[in-house]
This record gives sequence, C-alpha cells and structure tokens, in this order.
Amino acid sequence: MIFFFIILFAITLIYLAIAERVVRFLTLLIVQGILLAGIAYWHLKEIDIIHLSFILLETLIVKSIGIPLFLNYIRKRNRLNKLNESKVPTFVSILIISAGLVFGFVLSNFLHDAHIETIFFAVAISTVIAGLFFIISHQNVFTHLIGYLVIQNGIFMMSLSVGAEMPMLINNAILLDLFISVLVLGIFINRLGDTFQNLTVDGLSQLKD
Amino acid sequence: MIALGTLMTFAASLILPGVLIMTKAKLEGRKGPGLWQPLFDILRSLKKGSVYSTTTSLIFQIAPVVSLASVMVATLFIPFGETSGLLSFEADFVFFAYLLAIGKFLMIIGAMDTGSGFEGMGANREALYSMLVEPAFFILMGSMALLTSSMSFHDFYVGIYASSDLSYLLVIVSIFLLLQIVLVENSRVPVDDPKTHLELTMVHEVMVLDYSGFDMAIINYSTALKLAVYGSLIANFIIPAGESIGIQVIVFLVIQISCAVLIGISESFRARNKMLKNPQWILTLSAISLIVFLAALILTHKITLG
Repeated sequence: MIFFFIILFAITLIYLAIAERVVRFLTLLIVQGILLAGIAYWHLKEIDIIHLSFILLETLIVKSIGIPLFLNYIRKRNRLNKLNESKVPTFVSILIISAGLVFGFVLSNFLHDAHIETIFFAVAISTVIAGLFFIISHQNVFTHLIGYLVIQNGIFMMSLSVGAEMPMLINNAILLDLFISVLVLGIFINRLGDTFQNLTVDGLSQLKD
Repeated sequence: MIALGTLMTFAASLILPGVLIMTKAKLEGRKGPGLWQPLFDILRSLKKGSVYSTTTSLIFQIAPVVSLASVMVATLFIPFGETSGLLSFEADFVFFAYLLAIGKFLMIIGAMDTGSGFEGMGANREALYSMLVEPAFFILMGSMALLTSSMSFHDFYVGIYASSDLSYLLVIVSIFLLLQIVLVENSRVPVDDPKTHLELTMVHEVMVLDYSGFDMAIINYSTALKLAVYGSLIANFIIPAGESIGIQVIVFLVIQISCAVLIGISESFRARNKMLKNPQWILTLSAISLIVFLAALILTHKITLG
C-alpha cells in the first residue's frame, strides 16, 4: 500500500507543475498531506501509539486541514484566484519535474544503502527538487509558500527513509518550523497584498528604508 | 473463441456512441436522441454518395477507407481474458500503435490534400496531439513488457497479475492513463470537442470538414470502433481470469459501457482546455507513464530500491 501512496505522491508533483489556480494548489497540498498520513501509518504502525498518533495528527490535521484552511483564508483576503506568472513555460516545467523524478530514482539507485529506505528517498529527493524549482520558477510570494510546503513534505518523506521512527524532538522541530513559517509568510503576504495590491516579488524591489 | 475479443469489440462499437450521447443528454436534462441514433445516422449516411472537391486527389478519397481498415485490423489484436487475439505475435503492441497511426496519417494528409488552410490547421493540431500522446502509450506498454517479461498484448494481460503482488496498483494507474489516452485519440473533451462549431478551436472536426455521405459514415464508425478498441484494452485488465465465458462477456460489456458513461460524465462537467494548454495536458500523461515505468523498474528489481 505504501508503494501505491508513493506513486500517487509522485503523480501530484506532475499535477503541481500544470496547476494554475490557487484552489488547485491547495487541493494538491491536501492530497499530499493525506498521502503522507497513509504512508506514515503503513510505514510506522509498529511504533508506539503516542508517536504514531502524533505523526498522523501532524500530517492529517496540520498538513491536510490546518495549513490549507489558513492558505485559503489568505487567498480570499487577497483575492487570489489564478497564478499564471511562472517564468518557465508549463510544458518545460513538466519536463523538468519529470527529469527530477528520474534523477531522484537514479541517485537512490547509486546510494543504495541498508540504512536508507531508498524508495522513500527517491521520491523525497524528487519532491525537494520540485519544490525548489517551483519557488524559482514563480514570481508570486503565495506560490513561494506553496513551494516551501512541498519541500517540507519532501523532507518529511526523507525522514521516513532513514529509519522506522523519526526522533520526537526532530519531529516537533519540523512541525514548529512549518507552523511558524506558514504563519509568518501568511502575515507577510497579507501585508504585501495591502501595500502593493499584488503579490509578485517585483514589488519588493520598490521597498526603501 | 479466439475471435471473441474482436467480435466483442465490434459489438461494443455499435452501442458506445449511443451510451455516450445519452449520458450527456441525461446529465444536461434532455431526453436525448436514443441509444441507437448514432448508428442510424451512420446507416443513413452509408446510403448516400460522396461529394469531392475538384482540388482533391485520390489521397482524399482513400483516406477514410484506410483509416477504417487500420482500426479494423488493429481490432484483430485485441485479446479477450486469457484468450489471445486473432493476430498475436512478439511486439504486436508496436504494430497495433502504428496501424492506428497509419489511419491517422492518411486522414491528416487527406485533410491537407484539400488545399484548405483551415483543414491544414486541424491536421497540424491532430498530428501534434498524436505525436505527444505516443510516448505515454509506449512508455506504458514498455512498463507492462517489463513487468511481465513479454512483448505481446496477450502475455501482458495474462502475466500482469502474476508478475508481482503489487502490480495491481500499477494496473489502476495504467487504466487511468488509458482512459486519458482515449480522450486524446478520440478527440474528446478536454482536448477537443466533437460538438464545437467555433472554427478556430476545432481539431478533428475541421480535419474532416470536406467529407460527406458515405465517407463521413466511415469516419464516424472508425471513431466509434477506435473508442471500443481502447475500451477493450482497459476491459482486459479487469476481466476476471478463470471465470466462465458468460461472466467474462458480461464484465467486458459492463466495463465498455462504464468507460463510455465516464467519458460522458467527464464531458458534461468538464470545460475544454484552452488550445495552448493541450500540449502540456497531454505531456502530463507521458510524465505519469514515466512514473509507472520507474515503479515497474523497482518491482522487477531492475533498479535496486528498497
């Protein structure tokens, strides 16, 4: 079942490349959160119930419900519907993300190690590459935030690749990091929207002391 | 028995266009023209003659016949459950794909033969979309070949579930991909809209604009048959092995009809893509096929992932 979820997760990266509407981005984030919850459950069901519950809450409540709801609030407040300001044509984006997936699998093949569950590692690397590409190819702060969340999902999956259980402290740190960054960037987006009436990063170059 | 796949595909081709338009009609709150109306339309057109423009040559006249012939021969490769098709040999899926391509090629040069820039535009689009969807089909078939260590349609379907405990997961993604490929190959929404009358957005319809009567009937039936052919490829993934022929036939028909209903539902609730978005939408299918291929590499331990 994990295998199926991981394949579906990889497919969401492709759909992320062609998405233009903010609602589609949020839907894909929700789907990724649910898939991560499924992957974490099937992969970590041997660990103690408290840790497992925490990880499932993190993926289901925070990643699939909390953050998308907050981002939806930001979307409505700033009247964001469509973000088609990518500097790279979508056709090329799909090719680059596909190349990223192949690269992730090839790299995992080279790094084959008994301590690394490489199927997770392959998709995790591809997800981080996709998130980074997503950030550098878009000019809108909101899409940068989406790219950041995709990278976080990749890091979460990478943490699953190095062992059956991620230490609780690291897990808490990642969650706090995610929470604070989304909150801060959310407030930043709102302020940016109020000041410049659009959310492209070009507006930031006009800022002066 | 060996011809069952071909016979069932021909049988399905008679009813699928009707199911599709009736699904759309019901969802739009209309009564609909009836299940057999598309077939009656084809029969009526078959009784008519054809009108040819003086600027056209033999290519324009033979294109519909070659197109239908190519789809009919492709039907001979369709297996049924554990029974192989009438024609079955190593790498028959490559032959199958290029048979369909020959028909499409003739239709494209037939459209260009008219000398109309308008039809040339449609031919150009059709060629582009076919070219873009081809990698998706071949990567998918390559994945099947990898999983089953075989090179023919029949062996794919027989061996797919035996190859790995996890191959049924890949079958689900493969069915999804084939359903999307059907939409491109049969010029359906979101890539094309068979009902459109807006000249600048027409693809397949503009390509066959100069055909009439008998030729138009042939073209319409080729389209229906091609829909049934792809439906059969999907159905063969699901037909239960080891069951009696009666049950397999019922399952086959249910799946064929379900495919047509799904396409009808999709067309009723989905907007057509903007023309510029079609290439990227089709390329997505190749990207997903690539994921299936990578997954097949893992399942067959060709790459050493844990």
